Amino acid sequence: MGPLESILNWLLANIHWITLTFVMHMVVLGTVAYMILFERKVAGWAQDRIGPNRTGFDFGILPFLKKFKFWGMGQSFADGLKMLMKEDFRAPGTDRWLFSIAPLSMIAVVIISIAVIPWGGSFGTRHEAVDVRPMLDAGKTLPEAIRASLPPSRKLLSDVEVFTLSGVASTEQIKQPIMTLDRQIRQKGEALAIPASGPVLVSYTDGWRFQIANLNIGVLFVLAVLSLAVYGVVVGGYASNNKYSFLGGLRATANMISYEIPLGLTILCIVLLFSSLDLGQIVTMQAGYWFGVIPKWNIFAMPLVFVLFLVCIHAEANRAPFDIAEAEQELVGGYHTEYSSMRFGLFFLAEYAGMVTTSAVCVALFFGGWHAPWIDYLWKGLGGGVGGDPSVTDSILAGIARIGVFFSKTALILFIFLWTRWSLPRFRFDQIMNLAWKMLIPIAIMLVIGTAIAVFLIHAVLKGDTTDGLSPIEAAVLLGMNGLVIALAYAGGAFFTAGMKETNHRIVVPESRYA
Amino acid sequence: MKDSDVLLVDPPKLSMGDKFYLPQVAKGLGTTLKHMFRVARGDHKVIQYPEERREDKTVEEGGINHATYRGVHRLNKDEEGRVKCVACFMCSTACPARCIHIEAGESPWEDREKYPVKFDIDELRCIYCGMCEEACPVDAIELTSLYDIVGLSRSEMIFDKEKLLRIYDETVEREPM
Repeated sequence: MGPLESILNWLLANIHWITLTFVMHMVVLGTVAYMILFERKVAGWAQDRIGPNRTGFDFGILPFLKKFKFWGMGQSFADGLKMLMKEDFRAPGTDRWLFSIAPLSMIAVVIISIAVIPWGGSFGTRHEAVDVRPMLDAGKTLPEAIRASLPPSRKLLSDVEVFTLSGVASTEQIKQPIMTLDRQIRQKGEALAIPASGPVLVSYTDGWRFQIANLNIGVLFVLAVLSLAVYGVVVGGYASNNKYSFLGGLRATANMISYEIPLGLTILCIVLLFSSLDLGQIVTMQAGYWFGVIPKWNIFAMPLVFVLFLVCIHAEANRAPFDIAEAEQELVGGYHTEYSSMRFGLFFLAEYAGMVTTSAVCVALFFGGWHAPWIDYLWKGLGGGVGGDPSVTDSILAGIARIGVFFSKTALILFIFLWTRWSLPRFRFDQIMNLAWKMLIPIAIMLVIGTAIAVFLIHAVLKGDTTDGLSPIEAAVLLGMNGLVIALAYAGGAFFTAGMKETNHRIVVPESRYA
Repeated sequence: MKDSDVLLVDPPKLSMGDKFYLPQVAKGLGTTLKHMFRVARGDHKVIQYPEERREDKTVEEGGINHATYRGVHRLNKDEEGRVKCVACFMCSTACPARCIHIEAGESPWEDREKYPVKFDIDELRCIYCGMCEEACPVDAIELTSLYDIVGLSRSEMIFDKEKLLRIYDETVEREPM
């Protein structure tokens, strides 16, 4: 087998995730392009206008398209083209390398973080009881035999279950991933006493996940990678050699670092609940209904956690009402004052792509990801359930529909981003810091402690288990905990501010002007 | 500052919702959502400019009030078709942008002494304040409601006497003196 052939073989074996990587990134970047149009549309709607509606796809060179306007859909391409065609100006005095690296690092970081979003569960088939006895007889060890019986091109989606039928059946589970198969079999070697004759059965589910990288620490990965985006901002501000840019960069740093703490704490609540850092698994546990009607989404069990998370991702994205990093009225444009052309375009793109990522994480954590409420009663394939796992569906159409469901939910969160931007005035810098350190962080800590106590109570008193999804009574306990935290926060706030004199208690107005 | 110059104003009392802030956020979001639905119903203030024009609409619909709109200038003519201007320089004196340039000559007519040989207005310098109109003692210079004037060069945008008189001919029916 020549090198070319082996490369081709490798490509064929991995074609599904290469395609998925390409398609998902293109889809996200396309979403970002249309986010910019959507932002301008929402801005218009909020101000009694209708927003851009003229730029079609003729671009002045395709006259036959001129009579169609496409509701201004060409605006995104026109914007992108404008960014590319403008002069790429770098002011003298800027740091040549840092100036170029800052936007690149920001966009790279954001694009990397897209990789762990579980867009649509999995598409797979169940292999019940494949007999590996012939391979064992051929002289292979059990791990080798199992590996040989798995198809090479598809990923394992479930535990590999090995059991024998001769004599007393000994059933053992060997956890994925396949990398550690050897070690696990070695550890459980005694339990897996393989009889000399008779079938040795292996059953598993394999297929594709609609997820670029199946990390079992997906939540942690998103948090870690997105917090690197602050480097793009602060380095861009520093490299510009401009007071306003530098101030913007510093403010953004303070802002992002402050809000990362409550963000991490709110995510910790979910992690405590499900004892999993895998976004796909967290979504799977939310697929289902309470009393057959209410979706088992976390937002209904922990609304306060969701509100905190939403506030924090607004701050993380440096968007209104937390956009002190740009603050047009004070800092010209903040950290990207000196940037023009596509270098500015990359900052712009990174801001919106970051919003898409955080919204997708929000959907996965709180809105049940690909879980389409009530539709899966009508369309069984959408509900999944291959091998007892709701995340695995055996219809590729249903898989694509699930991606659509995930995207529509993400679009809803993105709309909230735009909606708040065009509704709320900006916070002052000290107000932002007060909100993070005096309110959000204490409340988030209370929530973490509350969740821990609630989970303990569920385990100890109710004899329940939160790691396999929430039952109605568990959800009620968590909801009560959320309510208790609100009450405690209000009481605590009243207690700590009781003796405090209100600032701005009396406004001094010169009589000569206003009386 | 004396104490008598100071007016003490109590800040408004914050309700529980105000202190929590989020209910007020929801209220604000509700306001903008209301406006979004209003646009969705077609109740917006947009005029689709090249197809719809303000001069075709009534003032109530957001159209131009022709009596007061301050657009391009015109030089009025009298009943005999002569230029009304008597080259008194009042307008160019009043002009804060210094965009009116008049060269006066001896009038060929009996009823006035001077008339403008040249009358140039730099429409790019003009700030359309209407001071020339106010200053004119014989109502010769007026601002019309034409606003979409374009040109390919700066010199093209310096309107001379002939052009200003032509604008009078174009607009006199819609906007009588």
